[in-house]
Amino acid sequence: MYPYFGYTDTPALRPELSHKNDVELLKAIAAKDEAALGQLYDSYRLILFGVLMRILNNREEAEDVLQEVFLQVWRRAGDFDENRGRPFTWLVTLARSRGIDRLRTLASRERVAVASAAESREEVSDAASDAIRSERFGAVNSALADLPDEQRRPLVLAYFDGLTQSEIAVKLGLPLGTVKTRMRTGMIKLRDAFGKSSLFGGS
Amino acid sequence: MAHEDYKAMLPARALSALDAGEAQALNQHLAECAECREELASWERTASALALDAKPMEPSPEVRQRIMSAVREEKDTRDEKHARADNDARVLPFAPVRRNVWRSLGAIAAVVLFLALLVGLVVLWQQNRTLRQQNELANILSEPGSRLTELKGTAQASTATAKLAYARDGRALLLATNLPPAPAGKEYQLWFIVGSNPPLPGKSFAPDSAGRSTLRDKVPRQALDSAVFAITLEPAGGVDAPTGQIYLSSGF
Repeated sequence: MYPYFGYTDTPALRPELSHKNDVELLKAIAAKDEAALGQLYDSYRLILFGVLMRILNNREEAEDVLQEVFLQVWRRAGDFDENRGRPFTWLVTLARSRGIDRLRTLASRERVAVASAAESREEVSDAASDAIRSERFGAVNSALADLPDEQRRPLVLAYFDGLTQSEIAVKLGLPLGTVKTRMRTGMIKLRDAFGKSSLFGGS
Repeated sequence: MAHEDYKAMLPARALSALDAGEAQALNQHLAECAECREELASWERTASALALDAKPMEPSPEVRQRIMSAVREEKDTRDEKHARADNDARVLPFAPVRRNVWRSLGAIAAVVLFLALLVGLVVLWQQNRTLRQQNELANILSEPGSRLTELKGTAQASTATAKLAYARDGRALLLATNLPPAPAGKEYQLWFIVGSNPPLPGKSFAPDSAGRSTLRDKVPRQALDSAVFAITLEPAGGVDAPTGQIYLSSGF
């Protein structure tokens, strides 16, 4: 029913409207269709592994969590509710929270220090990955890139390093109130960019 | 705190960036405020856009294999569980309540049926194994130029016997009976002896509880035409040159 397309089926090769197929895939997975899981993996492995690498900064750990994530997808695909969001959101949220859990288990704040030192703009300007991202995510991606660094950094520290607002304030040497305001402003800008993307759905 | 204050916390909560005290207070509010719950879901969607800040990366291909095989395994156990539930379902209704005795009889019947199935499975599995061996043996022996050699027990194990079938391409199957159990840390090992050259090592093996052994091995090319086959007792895992006594041999 769901032919296996192999490894070449990357997000870059699929149009933005792929979420419709992805909903079908998740339904098939809930009905225990292995091929569907393979296909979903082929579409999302790059982005999810990228997120996990950014969080964990360690290939072995990130691959282990990636496996965990897809096993959870296998068991819980039935929980996905298409009225509440798009498959992309569901998968990314699952991966991120598993990644942060693992990061906390590893309890290595040094690692976080290393990871956030590595956090940088040069990743965003990497031509190949930019192509993948902009093709699929268009408006949202540019909204993210257009965010002033002072708003982007606290968001990224919370998202990838699992830091709380107080921890971010300490790290950036800013008053807590300033961090709160900047995060809110940044999030509002991102949300506004969503009106232009069908990927994330809902409002 | 007012509703508006909680609302202001939602974006940070979607990033799980609230400090413990605030997070706890907000949780309480969320429990009773549907509007905030809804808005939180929307902020969570927004937060997922941050994933795009990470550079897409390629995991190693083994991850996919590991996932797929774990899934297959899980599916198999699930199917087994379902099969078992079906069996129970078949048994339980024929114990129509009224008295507890029937219920326990039903349970006993279910257990008996289950055990019977289990025994049946084991028997089938053994038969299947024997059939596979016979099939393999027939397979080797049906090839042109294949040979069947008998090994006789030495003074170490006078009742032991073995047969070694091997094809021209070297594929070999050894079936041995009546070898005494190997002591802890020891295993039997097959040797190929050509002329007065040092014996060539084969694989090592241990007999099952009934003293039977099956070994798949490959006869080295130089031993295909004329060789003596012998089995000695060696340290488990095998050695490069024989150190123990000979238990079986095809004659010197």
